[in-house]
This record gives sequence, structure tokens and C-alpha cells, in this order.
Amino acid sequence: MSENQTGNQPETAGESGRGIGTDEWVAQHEQRLNQASGPFAALGQRWLQLPRGIQWLVPLTIALLIPFLTSNDYILRIGVNLGLFLMLVVGLNLTVGYAGLLDLGFVAFYGFGAYMYAFVASPQFGIHWPTWLAIPMVIAVTALFGLALGTPSRRLSGDYLAIATLFFGQMFLVLAVSSDAVQFPWMQEPVDVTGGANGITNVDPFSFFGFTFSSMTSYYFLLLGLIVIGVFATLRIHNSRHGLAWRAMGEDALAAQHMTIPPVRMKLLAFTVGAAVAGLAGSVFASVQLGVFPSTFKLPLLIMLYAALILGGLGSVPGLVIGAIIMVVLPEVLRFPDYSNWLFFIVLIVAVVTTLKSWKIITAVFVSTLAVGFAANGIFLALGVPYLTTPEWTEGPLAPILGAWVFMPEDRLLYGNIAFVLLVVAIAWMTTRTRRTRLIALPFVLWLAVFTWEVRLLLEPSVTRQLLIGALLIVLMAARPQGLFGKPRVEVL
Amino acid sequence: MTEPALSLRGVTKRFGGLTSLDNFSLDVEPAEIVSVIGPNGAGKTTLFNVVTGVYTPDEGRVFLHGEDVTGLPPEKVARQGIARTFQNVRLFLNLTVRENIKAAMFGRTRASLLGSIVGSPLARREEVEKEEQVREALEFFGTRLQGYRLDQPAYSLSYANRRRLEIARAMATGASVLLLDEPAAGMNPAETKEIAQIIRRLRDDRGYTIVVIEHDMHVVEGISDRVIALDHGVQIAAGSFDEVATSPAVIEAYLGKGAAVTK
Amino acid sequence: MEYFGEQLVNGIIVGGVYALIALGYTLIYGVLQFLNLAHGELYMMGAFFGFFAMVAVGGPSAAVVPTWLMIIIMFLVAMGGGAGLGVAVERFAYRPLRKSRRLAALISALGVSLFLQSAALLLFGARVRLYDTGQFINLRSGFSIGSIRIDITEIMVVVGSLLLMAILWFLVNRTQLGRSMRAVAVDQDAAVMNGIDVDRVITITFALASGLAGAAGVMSGLLLFPVDQYMGIFAGLKGFTAAVVGGIGSIPGAMLGGFIIGIVEAMATGYLNPTYADFIAFLILVLVLLIRPTGILGKKNLAKV
Repeated sequence: MSENQTGNQPETAGESGRGIGTDEWVAQHEQRLNQASGPFAALGQRWLQLPRGIQWLVPLTIALLIPFLTSNDYILRIGVNLGLFLMLVVGLNLTVGYAGLLDLGFVAFYGFGAYMYAFVASPQFGIHWPTWLAIPMVIAVTALFGLALGTPSRRLSGDYLAIATLFFGQMFLVLAVSSDAVQFPWMQEPVDVTGGANGITNVDPFSFFGFTFSSMTSYYFLLLGLIVIGVFATLRIHNSRHGLAWRAMGEDALAAQHMTIPPVRMKLLAFTVGAAVAGLAGSVFASVQLGVFPSTFKLPLLIMLYAALILGGLGSVPGLVIGAIIMVVLPEVLRFPDYSNWLFFIVLIVAVVTTLKSWKIITAVFVSTLAVGFAANGIFLALGVPYLTTPEWTEGPLAPILGAWVFMPEDRLLYGNIAFVLLVVAIAWMTTRTRRTRLIALPFVLWLAVFTWEVRLLLEPSVTRQLLIGALLIVLMAARPQGLFGKPRVEVL
Repeated sequence: MTEPALSLRGVTKRFGGLTSLDNFSLDVEPAEIVSVIGPNGAGKTTLFNVVTGVYTPDEGRVFLHGEDVTGLPPEKVARQGIARTFQNVRLFLNLTVRENIKAAMFGRTRASLLGSIVGSPLARREEVEKEEQVREALEFFGTRLQGYRLDQPAYSLSYANRRRLEIARAMATGASVLLLDEPAAGMNPAETKEIAQIIRRLRDDRGYTIVVIEHDMHVVEGISDRVIALDHGVQIAAGSFDEVATSPAVIEAYLGKGAAVTK
Repeated sequence: MEYFGEQLVNGIIVGGVYALIALGYTLIYGVLQFLNLAHGELYMMGAFFGFFAMVAVGGPSAAVVPTWLMIIIMFLVAMGGGAGLGVAVERFAYRPLRKSRRLAALISALGVSLFLQSAALLLFGARVRLYDTGQFINLRSGFSIGSIRIDITEIMVVVGSLLLMAILWFLVNRTQLGRSMRAVAVDQDAAVMNGIDVDRVITITFALASGLAGAAGVMSGLLLFPVDQYMGIFAGLKGFTAAVVGGIGSIPGAMLGGFIIGIVEAMATGYLNPTYADFIAFLILVLVLLIRPTGILGKKNLAKV
């Protein structure tokens, strides 16, 4: 082997030494850059050094303990929702995260599974299959459905695949909503297949070996078990023969094809397995809800699934778990004005503290924001804008502070809307400015954000949730496309 | 008389009005190194694309070890024993070096998806074998792609290392015939010499049959058993390096009409 | 026969609206190879803007300006507002992603779509608005073919969309600006090197496309379609279907696709189950995508391996 004459350091010295310029040191450059600093960093480092098994054991233990720490059905319900959502994310991760196939109709598989289960376990057709028969059937049929959808799409890629799957998804939805009076040629009367827009009710709960799943707790543990299996499988798939094939396909489909990876087969496999997982989730959903309602399977759910995946970071398993948790738990928190208030302020403060590096600047910003708030109050009062007193619009521990600092106009809609528009424009404007200008504008924008939040956004949690998700997706793609835990990707265009 | 490792018979490929390959025939013997040269646009990469199944020829047939592979999709052709590198390196950039090579072993392994998840004996055995293969493929390149580098993403590799990895990846498919598309492009003289040595060693030590597209005549001279010259899809010369390099048709193709006269 | 004629006419009229939306999609995809999934929301915003413009001048019943002027104002506000919004969206949501992978831009578009819908819900409320065209236009005027009535708004819609298409076609094919757009469509980097201000071209592309969407919104409102936050989703999907069916990237294709989808939808509603009309429109798209992904008038692109 010819000696290295290209001018690099000799390889052998580089590997043992840690000097500047040696290859290993250079290669770890990125790692060093991304190393967090600050008080939490040390904790983070310790965490990352724990063996993987232990890392997963911690959240698992917490999840196991929750039903024993609370008997609040509502919290368990959130846990169940999270479990279902996580299952879907795991399924979607295979298709999108690994194989890079943009399936915008994924929610149709969820719905299909739910309806299939309802068909064989509800009064709709009077069939009541035992659970041990129904579930495998649902999985198999949904997998076939996934195959059926994937087959015509097998030659499509990128945009076209996205469009086709989007439309398949919409077609399914339309079909489900309209099929409450289907006229079969061999039948006299039209048949109510899907219950139309009202869906199917009185679906049987699961029952295995005489044990009927009648409480939220039982479903909670069922889903926990399924999630453990799903996450484990995903971790195993990551470096397996198929996992690598999918990931290679996602990188460069043509090169992968040349390296013996069959694109059509892998695509169909991704669709099928993803569909099977979604179908299983669908059956659990139907039995938990004791009903199937088409409004669940619309685009907003799909967007939330994608948001979770992207937020967590495509291809990262801890990422998808955390992304899912955020997507499911956050909207629940938003339902309670008190909690959401706390959350809003915590997020705002954490965001400011982590982006601005020096404590001096941070303090200056917070003080200025307070000043702006009081100044605004003065202006509003001077203009004679009618307002509400503190007890009229807020209560709880934060009330005195909020009441003193935030001006609450009587016409919340008008002022809130204006503030919202101004806020969006201001944030957009800020992205075009230099760091210094941004810093100066920050207190005003912060106050505007708090004002908009308190005056307007708190009034409508569901709209706010959508707004935040939409904004999150936009900002995430622009600022940190790899999400929280993903690795920055290199693209060749 | 052994049968040729790779054989093209009367291959023609047209794109609309442009004939990219015109009645092209070639037999490559096992463990032979054949270089294909020609000016840009001569049809060299099209040749590779037809052989690997990216294009189906309008006329003619392609045989690999005697098997007719004409019109098969690339993944099937690859499984028959032929692998290639690309003119502008096409690695799986966000995968590590190790993962790049392991991914290419898909066709040689049989573990099912379920088997991989639960850790069946077959899956586990194959994983061990794959590690072994990674080692084997990479040790060919000496100390270049070793140690910590195996777990670095491919995008962190230097240009020369990327080209080497691409060759290693092609080897990992289990192929016996390699198509190398401008393996020395963009390399400095030292790296170029090294690549030429690697190509020779691939044939001498591991018995690969190799077809190389190259522009660097030093490389071509140093490695080729035979040289084929292509221009506008037509073979204009074939033979040893000296024969082809001095052929008037070749000189004209590269330097224009009238250039041949001075020789 | 008469019934058929009625449905056909309905189809053509709605097709005009779809065609305008399709034009926007095709323009953006043609220049940027980007599917602006949020385009339908610009149509929705246009409808709202037009409505508020109408109310601002006293409409629908007590307008302080003559009807023709009011309609012009409505169109100008909707098109201007739509264009402005589209330009802003491009500038802040899509421009940072120009060098990123397709997936990123598509996700961002989904985000924009969701954001615009929610913003409309927040700012305008959940109340459905109606243009109540009858108050300021005599819906009896117009003409008839046989016993099929075509009133003046319907004529306006069809003529208007054909006119806008013609203007757009002229712009793209016969002006310097259009040449620049086509250059950017083929190769952005080469365009920059040839002195074309790519940012400006892209901004103008979005402005044009979004302006058309805004116009479509007003037309839709004038045709008495209800105006709410969700109108953009289905109309966007259908306009998008039309663009793909006609050949994405082709202006006449978008027009053709729009009318085809409109007519097919009308036929499906009239002769088959109206609830399945949407389904059939989508089915057509999928079939076209599978059989001829480049659409009826689209061109195939050859990529060099």
C-alpha cells in the first residue's frame, strides 16, 4: 500500500494523538460545536452516557407508574391518546422517516382499521367476532389495503407520490362519510355501510380470554405494551437489512437500486407494514372510543403526525417519542387557561434564556419588556380605551401579576386581532434584521406576544392550537429542519 | 474458450432523435480490464446505464456470464454480479461508512423483516457475516477507511475517500464485474496513482472483471488490457493502448479533423 | 338533453374558477418545481378580502358606489391582498428552504395552510359569509341558450378567467419577464449567472399566482358559494387536480384541466350521487397520475443520470 503522499498527517499518528489537524480530531469537530453549554449540559452528558437500555427504562417506569399515581380518568385518557398517536407515528416513521416516501394519506389506514373492526364487532351488521379473531383480521386487511394503495403508486416518487396518497386519503374520507345509503344492485334497500357522517356506535370493547377491557386503565396498559413493542421493533429495524435498505432508498433511490435494493418491493413493504401498524391502532381506537367517527381521520390529524415526526427529528427514535408527547400533551394543556398560561410563560422565558447567551442581556430584555408593558398600559389609559378589571378576565396565582401588567381591553376581539396581525408582521420583519436590531425590537415583540396571548389567543384554545402547530412547522423547517433530536442532514440537489 | 464475463451484442440506444449508442458490441473476458475512452457525449455513461439496466436498449442484447440480462431492472442486474460507481459520486451521504457498505449487501442476505426484529439465528448470523464483509472490503484500501471513520457519515469523507468508499460499496454487493465511471476524476496525481494501483489489485488479487471509463490517459495506459474508443455512440477503435492512442480516428475525435495528419 | 346542457354549463362556470386556481398551482410548480399546498388558502383569503371590500363600500345592498365599480374594487382588493399574502408566504416560509429537500418545503406548505386557516378563523370568526350577489346584480339579466339560463355573473366568471389566462399566457411567452421566468424554471443557478434577478422573478411568480387565486375567490363568492375558512381545502385540491390533469407546468393545460374537472364534477353531481362527486374528481386525478403523470398537455422532463 503506497504511503500517504497527499499532505495529510500520517494516519497512524492521527489515530493515537489528539493534536490539532489530525483526522480524528477534525472529524469530531461537529460534535464539539454542538455540545451544549451551561448547567444542564453536565446533566445531559451524564444521561447520554448511560447505556441505552437504562435510558429507555426511565420513561417506561414513569409510564408504568402513572396509573397508580392517579385515578383521574382524564389523565389516563390522555395517556391512551398518546399511545394511539405514538403507534401511528411509529408506523409513519417507517414510511416517511426511513424510506422517505411522502405518504399524505396515512390517516386513511387508521380509519380503515377502525372501520374494519367496527364492521365485525358492533351492531352495524350484527356481527360480533371475538377479539382474538377480529384484530388479526383487521391487521391483515389493512395491510392489504396498504398494498393496494402502494401498488398503483409504486412508480411515483416525491411530489407525485405525495399528491396521489393525499388524494387516496381524501377519497377514503369521502367514501366513509357518504356510504350510509349504498345501493347494491343485488339488494332491495340501500345499505348503511359506514354510518355516514355520524359513524358507527356501540362498538364492542376488546376482550381476551374472558377479560373485557372496560376501564381506561386496561387500555392504557395495552397501548403501553404495544408501544414498547413498536419502539423496540423500530430500534431493531434501524440497522437491520431492511432498515438500511429503506434508509439507502431514502438517500438515493437510483444508487440503492444499483446496489441490489429493489425499490418497488421496498416501497410496497413500507406501505404495507405502516398500514398494518395503523390498522392495529385503528382497531384499538374503535374499541376505546366504543365508536368510529369519520371526523377523526381528516387532514389535521395527518399534519399533527407529521409535525410530531419532524419536531422530534426524522429517523430518531427518541425524537419521535418526544415529538409525539409534545403534540398530544400540549393541546390538552392548552385547554386549561391557567395551565396554558404557565406553559406559555415558561416556554417564552426558556426560549429567551436559551437563545440569548449572556445574563446581562437577558435581564435587560426582561426589564425592557416589563417597561414596555407599563408604557403600553399608560397609552391605553390615556386613550381612554375601556378595559376589564382583573377578576373579570383572570384568576389563579398569576392573576395579580398579570392584572397589573397586562391591559385587558373590553373589546378583546378587535384589539386582540389587531395585536395578532401586528405580531405576525413584527416577527416576520424581525427575521430580516440584524442581530442588534432584533435585540432592540425583542422587548416590544415579547410584550406584543403576551398581549396577544392573554387578550385573544387564550379565548380560543382549539384555534390557537392549530395556529401554533402551523407556525411550528413553518419555523421548524426554516430554522431547524432536523428537529429536536435529528442529525443535520446533507442534501445533494 | 471461456465465456465472456460481460457481452454486448449490437446494442443501440436512441433518445428521440439522438442515437447515443449505435450497434455497439463488446466482449469482456473474465478478469480482464477494459477501458472505454472517448470525448464527452460519446455515449460512455449511456453504455454503463444500458448494461446496468437503467435503460433498455432499442436493439441488441446484454449478457452477463452468459445470462441474458437485457432489460432487467438495475437491482436484478446487480444481483447477477455486476456493480458500478457513478460519474458524480452517489453515496448514501447521511449514512455512515459502515452503513453504506452494509446497505449494499441487501441482495446477498436473506433475513426477513420479522426475523431481523426478533433476532432470528439467520439474522444474527448474517449480521456477523456482514461485519466481516465490511472489514474485507475496506482493508483493501489500507488505512484509509478504518477505525473511527467507519461510523462517520459519508458526507464527512474527503473527495478521494468518497470515491474509494463507492468502490468498496460496489464490491460489497458481491459482484464479480465492476463498472467504474471515471474513478480518477478530480484526484491529484498521487491519488490518481493510488486509484490505478487499486484497480490493478482488484483484478490481480480478487479476480474482478473491470470496465473503466476514464479521461486520464496515464491511468488508461497503466491499467488496461484493452482499450475501446467511442465517439457519437460508435466504436471507432479497439485494441491495446498504443494502438488506440495512435489511431487516426481517435486523434481526430479528440482534437478535430486534420490533427491526425501530423502523426 | 336540457338537463345535460344545464350541467354542462354549470360545469364550465365552476371550471372557470378551478382553472384560475389551477393556473396558480401550475405557475408556481412550473417555475419552482414546488407544490404550493397552501395555494387553496390564498383563494379562501381572496374570497374573504373581497367580501370585506364589498361590505366596506356599503354592499351588498347599500353600496355608495355603482355596482360595476364595487365589483372592480372587490377584485382589486382580493387580488392585491392575495398577491401580497402570497409574496409574504414565499418570502418567509419558502425562501429559506430553497436549497433544502422537497419534503421540507412540502411540510412548510402544510404548516402555512394550517396557519392561514386558523388565522382566518381567529380573525374573521367561524360565521359563514355570503356575498348575496342578488342584492346588487340583477340575476335575471344575461341570456339563455334554449331554456338554460346563464346570468351575468356566470358570464363574467368565464370571460374573466379566460381573459386572465390569456394575459398570463402572453406574459409568460411574449415578454422579457416571462422569458426570465422560464429561464428560472429550467435552471436557477444558470439564470442567476445570466443576470436574472431570481428572487424578484420568484416573488413576481408568487404575486401573479396568488393574485389569480384571490380573483378566483371573489368569483366563487359572486357565484354564491359560501365563504368560510375551509373552502380553500377542497377547492385547492380540485384546482390542483385540474393542474395535474391538464399537465402541470402548462398554462393552457391548467385551463383545460380546470374546465374538465368542473364539467366532470357537474356531470357526476347531476347524474350520479352528488356526495360522490368529490370522490370522482379525486379518482380522475389518481388515474391521470398513474397513466400519464405529466398530464394531458404536460411535457416530460428528461433528467441526466
